[in-house]
Amino acid sequence: MTKKVHVQSTINGKATDFLCEPRQSLLEVLRDELRLTGSKEGCNNGNCGACNVMLDGRLVNSCLVLGVEVAGRKVETIEGLATPQGLHPLQQKFLEHASLQCGICTPGFIMAAKALMDKTPKPSEGEVRHWLAGNLCRCTGYDKIVRAVLDASGCPSPPA
Amino acid sequence: MIDSGAVGRWVSAPGAYDIVTGKARYCPDLDFPGMLIGKLLYSPHARACIRRLDVTAARMIPGVIAVLTHADIPGENSYLYAEPDQPLLVVDEVRFQGDAVAAVAAIDEQTADAALRAIDVEYQALDGIFDPLAAMQAGAGQVVAGKDNIMMHKTYRTGDVAAALASAHVIVENTYRTQWAEHAFLETEGGVGLVDADGGVTVYSSCQAPHRDRMQIARALGLPESRVRVITPYIGGAFGGKDEAHVQIHAALLAHAARRPVRLIRGRRESILTHVKRHPFIVHCITAATRDGRLLAVKARAIVDAGPYSNATHEVLNKFGEFIGGPYTVKNLEIEKIAVRTNNPITGAFRGFGAPQAAFVYESQMDDLARKLGMDPLEIRLLNGVDTGTRMYTGVVVREGKAMKASLRRAAEMMGWQQRGELGRQPATHLRRGWGMATILKGSGMGRGLPDHAAVLLEMHRDGSVVLQSGAADMGQGIVTVLAQLAAESLGVEMSSVHVVRADTAQAPDAGASCASRQVMVSGNAVLRAAVPIRDSLLQVAAEKTGVARDRLVLHGGRLHVDGQAHDLTVAELARRALFRGYPLQSEGRYELEYPADAPEVTYRYSQEVFQFCTQIAQVLVDCETGQVAVERLVAVHDAGKMINPGGVYGQIEGGVAQGIGYALTEELRVTEGHTLNASLENYVIPMALDIPELEMDVLEMPEPLGAPLGAKGIAESPIIPTAPAIRNAILDAIGRPLYQLPMTAERVLSALDAAPCADPA
Repeated sequence: MTKKVHVQSTINGKATDFLCEPRQSLLEVLRDELRLTGSKEGCNNGNCGACNVMLDGRLVNSCLVLGVEVAGRKVETIEGLATPQGLHPLQQKFLEHASLQCGICTPGFIMAAKALMDKTPKPSEGEVRHWLAGNLCRCTGYDKIVRAVLDASGCPSPPA
Repeated sequence: MIDSGAVGRWVSAPGAYDIVTGKARYCPDLDFPGMLIGKLLYSPHARACIRRLDVTAARMIPGVIAVLTHADIPGENSYLYAEPDQPLLVVDEVRFQGDAVAAVAAIDEQTADAALRAIDVEYQALDGIFDPLAAMQAGAGQVVAGKDNIMMHKTYRTGDVAAALASAHVIVENTYRTQWAEHAFLETEGGVGLVDADGGVTVYSSCQAPHRDRMQIARALGLPESRVRVITPYIGGAFGGKDEAHVQIHAALLAHAARRPVRLIRGRRESILTHVKRHPFIVHCITAATRDGRLLAVKARAIVDAGPYSNATHEVLNKFGEFIGGPYTVKNLEIEKIAVRTNNPITGAFRGFGAPQAAFVYESQMDDLARKLGMDPLEIRLLNGVDTGTRMYTGVVVREGKAMKASLRRAAEMMGWQQRGELGRQPATHLRRGWGMATILKGSGMGRGLPDHAAVLLEMHRDGSVVLQSGAADMGQGIVTVLAQLAAESLGVEMSSVHVVRADTAQAPDAGASCASRQVMVSGNAVLRAAVPIRDSLLQVAAEKTGVARDRLVLHGGRLHVDGQAHDLTVAELARRALFRGYPLQSEGRYELEYPADAPEVTYRYSQEVFQFCTQIAQVLVDCETGQVAVERLVAVHDAGKMINPGGVYGQIEGGVAQGIGYALTEELRVTEGHTLNASLENYVIPMALDIPELEMDVLEMPEPLGAPLGAKGIAESPIIPTAPAIRNAILDAIGRPLYQLPMTAERVLSALDAAPCADPA
């Protein structure tokens, strides 16, 4: 048995301690150790973005980050996005625009879009499409996702 | 009766809240006490015989709870629902890179991996058979001992093709090639097996056909179907790729052996290597027409590489032949269909079942024909298009066919087809712009002569809340949403009052597979039928209570309405009273696609008779220096019969077009000597947000008589079908060079240009 490492971090605003093997990815830690299964594994090599989370305010593929790397750092996942007051505007707009079909890529898209809006509160459609190029969706064709992001950022988007 | 309320409104899926908050559970998210991790050992060879298979060392590893080989399967060691010829675990020979050899279950991922490494297999590599044309020749050797390499060889003829060809003014004759394509559902295949206290098993399955999975799992375990329960959790896409069973059977076998829960999920590389691909076709096609552009004959020969096992090869080739004439009146047609076994990847169902390959052929032929005749591509299609009442070459008489020409005209109008001359064709010396169209039809439902029915259970509780049990798997296409809308509408309650239980074979009756765009027709109509006796009970109580005649009463929005005016009585109050009186508030609804007794004889067996018509027009920009093609604009006009959930319909069109763009330009599984070279989403390139052009859509609603009373046709498959030929024809328009092979990569565009430099646009 590989020796486990004790890691202290902040996950979704809460101080969180966990034990993990040095080889474990952050995605594995979130899903298997902390039971936060909202971050999905689509490829496990950084191509699809389904595992997107925020690490100290930066968007990362959690399958490409080691669990031990988050020691002393802040992680935000899809589970932490809604507040007791309600859904995050992105979540709300994804619902209103029917921006999801099977939904397995949705948490990753929402986290990626949040990272964009944190940096660029009013992105153009081109900026949204470029920024979301790291996230794959096989069901929707992306249009409604792009619309939801534009709408959440208060940018007018043409009706469907 | 369907004219207001939930139906036709843009609604979000009942599970959407759970999805956007990360709470929705897919197979990989399921966890049970004592759960083990299952894994399969796959063949690294395309073809080899197994000299030795020893799992002793693997079984000795602490934490390994079960290791299975073919010898440990209690029931039948073969699967596939139509012709079970694929081994669950091979006995003595692997026949493609992806055949499973052994299965393990261990306490965690690492231990399971260690068990796989500890399995001692001695392979003796054999010469594989990889070229379907060579495999057809005498003396080629057999891919499967005792079975002919030619898995299927059928010819269908109607009319007099030879005479029609002899009298033709113009003939186009070409050979087309299509590629292996990968579904790339973002959730890979998975299953979780659990052993029940009574020795039965429960399996959570990421699938399209839970009741059929139940049959296959029971067969493998040697259990009666009554002891097997299949439940579908959230499913992350399928597109035909989960129509056939995959690892859910192995998960059940492992759980049964280990007496503990087992979760078995394929990794992305395993997924690409092991599940079916869209069949690659080689098609030789001759299309003949008169001087004025009327089609006289189509003669085609299709050879497909099926891989070693049958999967849906018969069905795919059958659909190819059914649609090779396109949505056109063709009196003389001959289609020869040949499927060949090889040691290449297995092939099967993928959105459209052979219709996308057929459309690439017939719509390319139409544009080549139009060029030869100097005709407008729109005019030649309108001239030959089918209409209501047209008898197709399959013998099917089109019941509702106005959408064929209507979709062409509407798409042309939206694109501004008449202003083609004003298109800025050459924005720079090396750039060429072009427009191309494709119009297609695709049938919905299983086809006449095949079982095509569904049943649902509907129950209203005393508080007016409704539970709907349906066996229809929702893989993201949205059938749960549609059924909830229909139940709400039919019972006069809000959609939020309806809970649709995701398919569970222990509770829901069989709805058949979620395939062939059929569920909205069969399960949708089954809900309408199930609602009738419940609504009757509620209205009966209402009539008794109010003393008003029943025909003046309507249930709507959770409330009774009298002569159109809202009444104090709520549906919940009526439900409570109905239960008190003992009136039934639960019902089974069953619907079967029934063909009228006087329907004419269909000569092409198992033809579908409900048609999704659609037209797409693409604008491309071709870089003549690099060969790169950008799709700049795309117009899509589709007939849905009747839209239940417009958001879902538009979503299917957008998603289908995106997949069609990938199929047209980038997606190709590269296989050398049976080995897949790009088993990753890094180099099997599916479209991303940047690759999708400005999309302009319209949906026609021409209710389908066969699917009455609902009138919906299903929309799942048609959107992917015209995209590739529309882009092909746009490239032809842009550079004056035809392409005959998919995908139309930069390399292939350049080699088409090599034959002659960029032609000046006509």
